[in-house]
Amino acid sequence: MNRIKTPLYIIAIMFVAFTAWAVRSRALNNLPIDYDEDDYLRAGQEYAHLFRTSNWSGFLETNYRPEHPPLAKIAYGIVFSFLPEQPLAADVSITSQPASSLPEDLFDAARTATAIFGTLTVALLAIVNPLGGLFLAIHTFTIKYTSQVMLDGLSALLSLSAILAYVEHKKRNQSAWFIASAILLGFAADSKYLHGTVGFAILVDWLISSKEFTPSRKIKSLLPILGWGLLSLAIFFAANPYFWPDPIGRLQESFSAVTFTTTNSNVTNAGYPFWQQLNWLMMSVPWRSEPPAFVFMLDTFIAMLAVFGFKSMWERNRVFALWLAIDILVLIVWRTKWPQYILIVTAPLSLSAAEGVRVLWNNLLTWWNSKRSKAASVFHKTESRRALPWLTAGLIAFAIFTIFPMLFQIAISTTDFNVTSIRDGFQGGIWRTFWNGITGQIPITPLDTETHPSQVNFTGLTSYPQVFNFIAGAPSGHSILFFNIMWTFLSVILQGVLGVFVSLLLWQRGVRLGKFWQALFILPWAIPEMVGALMWLNIFNPETGWLALAVKSLGPNIPFAFLNGWENTPSLWLIIYLLPAIWYGFPFMMLAASTGLKMIPHEVYDAASIDGASPLQTFRYVTWPLLLPLLLPAIVVRGIFAFNQFYLFQAFYYQDATLATLSYNIFNPTGFGITGQFAVSAVINIITVLILIIFVFIFNRWSKADEGVVYA
Amino acid sequence: MREWYMRNISFIKQLATQFILLLIGFFVVIPIWGTLRLAFDGSLKGRPTEFRFLPKEWSGEAFMQVLDKPYQSVDFHILLKNSLTVSFGAAFIAIILGFSLAYAFARFRFPGREVGLFAILLTAFLPPVAFMTPLYILLTMLKIRTTLLALVIVYASFAMPFCIWNMRAAFQAIPKEVEEAAFLDGAGDFKTFLYITLPLALPSIAVAGLIAFLMAYSEFTIGWLFVEKGDNVTLAMSIYAILQSQYLGGAQPWSYLGSLAIIMSIPVIVIFLIFQRTLLERMMFGNAE
Repeated sequence: MNRIKTPLYIIAIMFVAFTAWAVRSRALNNLPIDYDEDDYLRAGQEYAHLFRTSNWSGFLETNYRPEHPPLAKIAYGIVFSFLPEQPLAADVSITSQPASSLPEDLFDAARTATAIFGTLTVALLAIVNPLGGLFLAIHTFTIKYTSQVMLDGLSALLSLSAILAYVEHKKRNQSAWFIASAILLGFAADSKYLHGTVGFAILVDWLISSKEFTPSRKIKSLLPILGWGLLSLAIFFAANPYFWPDPIGRLQESFSAVTFTTTNSNVTNAGYPFWQQLNWLMMSVPWRSEPPAFVFMLDTFIAMLAVFGFKSMWERNRVFALWLAIDILVLIVWRTKWPQYILIVTAPLSLSAAEGVRVLWNNLLTWWNSKRSKAASVFHKTESRRALPWLTAGLIAFAIFTIFPMLFQIAISTTDFNVTSIRDGFQGGIWRTFWNGITGQIPITPLDTETHPSQVNFTGLTSYPQVFNFIAGAPSGHSILFFNIMWTFLSVILQGVLGVFVSLLLWQRGVRLGKFWQALFILPWAIPEMVGALMWLNIFNPETGWLALAVKSLGPNIPFAFLNGWENTPSLWLIIYLLPAIWYGFPFMMLAASTGLKMIPHEVYDAASIDGASPLQTFRYVTWPLLLPLLLPAIVVRGIFAFNQFYLFQAFYYQDATLATLSYNIFNPTGFGITGQFAVSAVINIITVLILIIFVFIFNRWSKADEGVVYA
Repeated sequence: MREWYMRNISFIKQLATQFILLLIGFFVVIPIWGTLRLAFDGSLKGRPTEFRFLPKEWSGEAFMQVLDKPYQSVDFHILLKNSLTVSFGAAFIAIILGFSLAYAFARFRFPGREVGLFAILLTAFLPPVAFMTPLYILLTMLKIRTTLLALVIVYASFAMPFCIWNMRAAFQAIPKEVEEAAFLDGAGDFKTFLYITLPLALPSIAVAGLIAFLMAYSEFTIGWLFVEKGDNVTLAMSIYAILQSQYLGGAQPWSYLGSLAIIMSIPVIVIFLIFQRTLLERMMFGNAE
């Protein structure tokens, strides 16, 4: 077995590494000069000069852009020292625009060097898991920032090496690997501080393992990791000559420089919400260059697969799961939301995505097998015959009202039908185009919303990737898809928490006014959604809303005044929209939970109290596990509702919050912005259908929910 | 000794519970109150310009005005008539045309049943917007887009998958033995359905229809895409029209919006309060009975 497997494995790794190199060399030729590339080029030039003049003491005083440690910049210096010297790149403020031109040979050499680091990173990851390596190889943000003069190429290589050394140590129990991981970690932090956070993953993993293996001798068992930490800290200072003359002072200088990079005007003006890094993770690089820099645009799918694979990665390869989780947390907390920072997680993300593929594949196999074994026992001939009259009548109606519009929608989605070609489209242009298109009589014309054709053109399926990429990530950095999914989860969870909480309060014995409270709390559910949205709009409307008026007349010190002006702060939007969503949705959850609580037999509490369980324990181990399955249908109902949320956002004029809102506003021929794009709206709707198919599949597997769930 | 879950809660706990419930009560009531105070404020000439917790001048004038001519020069009773026509029409179509499919899926096993169920569930999960695009174009081509009939068709389309799914659950909840007894007595499928199943399932079907009715009654955004003439506007749509004219700096007092929203919500609230238990079950535990 191994005889075949090993060569295959090596071929796979080589193939992945080759792919990584191929896509990176394409990107480094085609990507325009980006922000900061001139800075790191200049830093490299300074170091190259020191090498050339053998001015070793100069290293003590040189660190251009002190917000980043010097190691990766020194690496550029080594590369540049083999090339003829050039005048230094201009010293400009870090908030200025990208340089218009840079010394060609240095620029190419630096980009090539970082692409080599990037390729090595991919190759290393491919050794762990070839598919994971492949995902990292084609991840566009990773390609971008390991093909430009950035610091992430070397840093990502070092941080991955550090964690792999640690994994090797766990496998073989050799302290050499442990020491190696400490050294590599020190180097990684010396290349770019944030890449040092991989150390936390190692630390936590080590602590979890040590808890498992040595419950006693606590302090003594901590010694190895303490030594490991001190060693990497020592390496961090040792490999950073700039720190030697005045470690504390230079660290402070670095710290204040970092502070400046997180608070300067570029950062505040960017207007990114606190979850922006998750937006970047959800999209492929949204900025286009000519010729295109990237071949594959699959980052969105890598991120989604990673979600599916996370649990399994946690079980099989915990330290990578920790790496992913901890560094995502770091990204959310870290104030600068530039996309290059996501490179601290793309390696574990790719591994998780590879796990996701494995999990999905296994699920698919189980599903297929169970389907095949079930298929034998399904229908009777007589019953089918009896069903026929009922079916024909109903199917005709269902086909006219539901199926046919959906099929027609698919036809529209293969055209570029919009408000300028409205006359042609309504006079049979859609059918003509669709028919001629699929029979190959007219060529495919890619969708272009800037042109205003008076005739309907055939776009085939080419609109789909275009529209999907826009949904997954617009050039502004906003990801509608991510917001939609985050919105679904957050609003359902919060509604559920409040609903269950209230039902538990009312469920206590002897609560006064219980009936009154319940009747009062049902009100929001009974109020039509759009009226409820208007009620909240009446509070939060900028300038004319209750809150804005209250702040105007009572001063900015009243409670909730911090929410005033929410329309200018993307992170606050979420709160403003979640409040009505909770308000509207919690009564449903409360009613469902009350019904559920009544269905739990009293005997289980007798058993719990005999075992001496406290009320809290009883809830955690008795009530909640029994209640959750009863709540599932309600959760599904509210989840679908939140995913399709429309009127709330429409009332607040948030035109691209969810897919439904976007579809409506892109369709609406009399709206603002890009409007009257009927075909684009159809494409969005079909994408919604596809996503909901996945939803239904998951829920079908998750529970018997499909038997009960009905309201959408 | 009685255990904690059998005793009435202590005084302190009672107090704490009531306090928390009061806070949540505020959360529930404040937005409603904001609209009420707007609706009852007779001093509003345009948009509100100062913060008030109570109306400056108590007045029911806005209600009178709205009950007369809420939107442009269209009478309230025309709007109400349109709303009822559209809502009843949509519910009626969704139920009448959907029940046979629901019954087939509830009672018989036939090839393709699973795919069919999947399709119904999926379409029930789709947002109305997903049907809007093709229907707009289809109905325009049929040259009936701006009529009330178009609205009926559109809303029936939104509601039908849900109604089918829901009625299927209702039919399934009826014990098969009851039907089989009738069937063995020589009644055909249709007779069995008409005399046995239908009467038993009627309440559930009515609730499904009610939900379809409410859906059509409170829909407004998509309606505006289809309808152009003031005569074909529904109540809910006129709310949206007032809202938009407010955004564009319209001259109507904002109390109109508040009072119209309240007037149109009251029947819905009453229905929900009366049928809360049933509606909850219909909306999710389709066949839990």
